[in-house]
Amino acid sequence: MITLAKGRKILRGTASQSWVAYLYIFPSIAIYAYFILWPIIQTIRLSVFDWDGLTEPVFIGMKNFIELTQDQILHQALLNNLLFIPFFTIFPIAIALFLTALLTRKKVKGFNFFRAAFFLPQVMAMVAVGIVWRWIYNPTFGPLNQTLTFLGLENWTRPWLGDFSFALPAVGLAATWVQYGFSMVLFISGVQHIDENLYDAAKIDGANEFHQFWNVTLPGIRNELSVAMVTSIIAALRIFDLVYVTTRGSPGMKTMVASLWLYRNAFQINRVGYASAIAVLLTLIILVLSYVLLSEGSKR
Amino acid sequence: MKALTRFVCYLVLVAMVLTACAPAATAVTEPTKASIQEVTLVVWDVLASPGETAIIEKLQTDFLAAHPGVKIDRNAKSFDDMKATAKLGLSSPDGPDVAQINQGLSDMGALVKAGLLENLTPYAQKYGWDKKISGGLIARNSFSTDGKMFGQGNLYGVSPTSELVGVFYRKDKFEEYGLNIPKTFAEFEDILKTLKEKGETPIVAGGLGGLAATHFYAEILNVYLSDRAYLDDLIFARNDQSWDTEVQQKAAEKLQEWTENGYFTKGFEGTSYDDQGSLLENGDAVMMLAGSWWSSTLAASPISEKFGFFMLPPENEGAYKMTVGGTSPAYAIRANSTKKTLAAEYINWMISESSAKVWANNGTIPLTYVDPSTMPAGSLIADLLTAWNTINQKDEVGHYLDWATPTFWDTLTASLEELMAFKITPEEFTMKLETDYSAYLTSLK
Repeated sequence: MITLAKGRKILRGTASQSWVAYLYIFPSIAIYAYFILWPIIQTIRLSVFDWDGLTEPVFIGMKNFIELTQDQILHQALLNNLLFIPFFTIFPIAIALFLTALLTRKKVKGFNFFRAAFFLPQVMAMVAVGIVWRWIYNPTFGPLNQTLTFLGLENWTRPWLGDFSFALPAVGLAATWVQYGFSMVLFISGVQHIDENLYDAAKIDGANEFHQFWNVTLPGIRNELSVAMVTSIIAALRIFDLVYVTTRGSPGMKTMVASLWLYRNAFQINRVGYASAIAVLLTLIILVLSYVLLSEGSKR
Repeated sequence: MKALTRFVCYLVLVAMVLTACAPAATAVTEPTKASIQEVTLVVWDVLASPGETAIIEKLQTDFLAAHPGVKIDRNAKSFDDMKATAKLGLSSPDGPDVAQINQGLSDMGALVKAGLLENLTPYAQKYGWDKKISGGLIARNSFSTDGKMFGQGNLYGVSPTSELVGVFYRKDKFEEYGLNIPKTFAEFEDILKTLKEKGETPIVAGGLGGLAATHFYAEILNVYLSDRAYLDDLIFARNDQSWDTEVQQKAAEKLQEWTENGYFTKGFEGTSYDDQGSLLENGDAVMMLAGSWWSSTLAASPISEKFGFFMLPPENEGAYKMTVGGTSPAYAIRANSTKKTLAAEYINWMISESSAKVWANNGTIPLTYVDPSTMPAGSLIADLLTAWNTINQKDEVGHYLDWATPTFWDTLTASLEELMAFKITPEEFTMKLETDYSAYLTSLK
């Protein structure tokens, strides 16, 4: 209760004020509900239908989901999504931690510049990233093979995006390049909340830079780490544009991913119901993983 | 009071934002109201490249001159865009009267099944379209009325231009090595061997994405087929045929043999399809086994006179051999259009002899016959026209293999990549194709 002049009182946080709050957020919720929630509900509904996108949908119960368990291409796709996870999480986070350590322990000239520059790949459209990296990996004209040849390492050259062993890592590398900036910015802001006294205490105990990082910085950014993990795993499971622009799933099915297979089914093979089932499955996987990771992270 | 004012301002702001983000208007602009004198025909096509745009504008100008009172509202889309929006457009009363639809089950077939396309057989008979195109071409634009059976029933589309797959070659290199255009498959293989021995890359290949290999395989298969029955049956799902046959394994083996002998561009697995033209132009290869859709790119090259074209030859000189080919996406008429007669007139104009000449003069093979001798002697378009006329007249227009089932594109490209990387044997290859295909046949029953 707050008392104003003339003794009028304003109640805060009571029902008479909260309906105004709801009105404020109503437009955003309306947009969100119409463009995001409603299509999600529609997708869940469609997953139990067989629909070619044109004629009447036919109700088929759980048949789509049963087919999911037998779909070899989907299994390979999910496996590939799993294989992409290190490229979205471990490698970018490792790079981000390293850069964070470099940039935050002492005052670095041009700190703002570096932070912005390292974040730049995140800002680029994935399609543009894909096209650029595709060019880099071009076996004849691309800089990677040309550099290797120039350095006398010609037997290390490969038809990268068409190579059965290297296509996925090649695309993964592009993903790592995009992702590390995001984690880095998260960690830098996290480090700024760590109490300097902890570092002083560590130094008194004889800790060097590395020990300080390992024992003070890392635990201190635990929450940011878990957020970074969750968002990057989700990104790995959702990956689409990068693969679409670089390899479209080739060679064989070595870079096929769940969302690309979903896209093929929905828009090219005309199986919207089945694609919706894939979408539901993918969403469930992401929800479960996020829950597990976030509850793990907040336990400590 | 302050809170209320703020709230009202906020509402106004939101209202402005909402109106600004009106859902993207459908690509069809409202056609002008048909007055007594004026009729507007709405056309959607995929002739979006600068070259094609110039041609179609000219053809439309001539059409409008011959049809006073008619206006054309034309919308050019990319191939992918058309695929995504055709269904919506054709279901709408404001949609296109004429639309260019891709052949095959998942495109034209699906639209026929949904009752969105007009049966063109009566128009074909009225205007004599059926005399211009071979039986094979009519079949691939035909479906049963329920859209399920491909290759029979009513005609639903007619295309303005054609395409075929063959060998673009460097005339200067052929001269340098004293090579002649091969008349038999054995002669072609000799050329491959000779070029390889001379240190050249015989066939340029941009394998990324899988398209190039589908043409290589299909063409080699065509060499070993002596008539079209088997392949027609496979593509149109007739007579329970199988992909797991000796002739297919033979073709698969041959493809592996060529790969092993290094006849394709080094690093082809990671080379982009679109790079093939530049590689051929740079002299990094001598031949390109690809589609005639490359003709305008090559014709625009500064060394365009160095390119020629021949079809992959049969085993025995002069024998029947299909060549992978077909037509561009076909003009179809919307089933509930109110201007069907005008739409048919438009289509008829687009495939007329005079329109065909415009296409040919611009380096694209038209559907309708054009005499190759009216083109500059020895030019790329003359070669292409001669080839097309031959296969159209001899009913040798072959198939795009990925049409076999809705999922065949994925199966075929993935299996070919594995075949050419020697991860699977020819027998395993044909088995993979057959697994997809037989599952599809079962689903049809």
